[in-house]
Amino acid sequence: MTVEEQIREIVARITHVDKNIITRESTFKEIKADSLDIVQALVAVEEAFEIEIPDEEAQKFQNFGDFVSYVESRVAQGEKV
Amino acid sequence: MIRNKNMVQNGRVKVAVDAMGGDYAPEEVVKGAVLAAQKDDVEVLLVGSTNILEKELAKYKFTNGSSIRFVEASEVIKEDEPPIDVIRHKPNCSVAVAAKMVKSGEADALVSAGSSAAAALSAIQFVGMLDGVCRPAIVGSLGSFAPNTVMVDLGANADCKPHQFLTFAIAGSVYAKKFLNITNPKVALLNTGNEENKGSEIGREAYSLLKNSGLNFVGNIEGNEILNGKANVIVCGGLVGNVLLKFYESIGGYAREWTVQKLKKYPPLDILVKLLFDGLFPATKISGESEKRGGGILWGVDGVVKIAHGASRAPQIANAIESAKEAVKAEVIESLKLELAKFNQGGKP
Repeated sequence: MTVEEQIREIVARITHVDKNIITRESTFKEIKADSLDIVQALVAVEEAFEIEIPDEEAQKFQNFGDFVSYVESRVAQGEKV
Repeated sequence: MIRNKNMVQNGRVKVAVDAMGGDYAPEEVVKGAVLAAQKDDVEVLLVGSTNILEKELAKYKFTNGSSIRFVEASEVIKEDEPPIDVIRHKPNCSVAVAAKMVKSGEADALVSAGSSAAAALSAIQFVGMLDGVCRPAIVGSLGSFAPNTVMVDLGANADCKPHQFLTFAIAGSVYAKKFLNITNPKVALLNTGNEENKGSEIGREAYSLLKNSGLNFVGNIEGNEILNGKANVIVCGGLVGNVLLKFYESIGGYAREWTVQKLKKYPPLDILVKLLFDGLFPATKISGESEKRGGGILWGVDGVVKIAHGASRAPQIANAIESAKEAVKAEVIESLKLELAKFNQGGKP
């Protein structure tokens, strides 16, 4: 499973939406994710990939694609234990 | 079957108390724990800075030592801190540690008088939600004027999605069965009219879900029907529920003052009115209902989580511990799970 697929699974589970409707262009508002959903998704992704996502980086995410790209870059940097 | 096996073995319900949370913590929380722990069927686990808690407990001639224990938690979420920090930056604060103890089975219930939002977030993140529930809700009895009626949600969810109203109705029905002894509670949706097509789009979707839920749904009711007993469970969004609750709680005090002022020029009568309001008339007792229970349970979480008022003093903390214990004994979580399972078989409510 790719990083994107794993994150899509996590976000879909937390927001209770069909994972197939989540595209890289989907905004959190479009998938009806509230602030708690977003924080829960951040924590779940941090645990899944064993990384830490600083608040200032998370605040830059405009859509699902931004979130995925950031995690992909961190994983590519070999931060995964 | 009671949820925690330890409790069955030694006969004591273990209540983890966020000892650092609340306007008067830790002093009043420790004092409340001492009051609650006088009973043999409860063990209070005070979660917080052990050094501070030991000094507080030393102030009391507390002999039943085995029923209060300390659990170290190095951090605290203060009222002015973002509640979300409980998840992101302070996962070892007192309320989070207490929540994790419920999850692990070290405790049967959690009581916190600290930040309600932080307690709710801890419950969601660390205790976890029941299958089919995405957010917890607060259920409360209206007492006095409507002793057989509960409302839900009383403030946990400002913005609600339609399916949440269904879980509110299920939670309210379990509450009515367990605590009001109502066999088949009548459920109603609070709205601006009785007709099915009234209200907001979310309300209409909620109506449809409730109508087809298999619950004893009696339709919409309006604000002037809340107290008439037409429904045992009144479902509404948390914003409306919280505003209504606080208004309801304030009526008694204002009615008393207004009447006393009006009758001031007739001295014997104003005294009589004071006596009537303070001793007999139920309106002034309304606000005492939540105090008696020491706060509200968060329904939908996979464990008993009690949110006490921030301004709780020792008696209210003791009441919160006592009612959390009773909720564990009444197996409310198991009952809610059973009810939810019926709905989850046909898809998420």
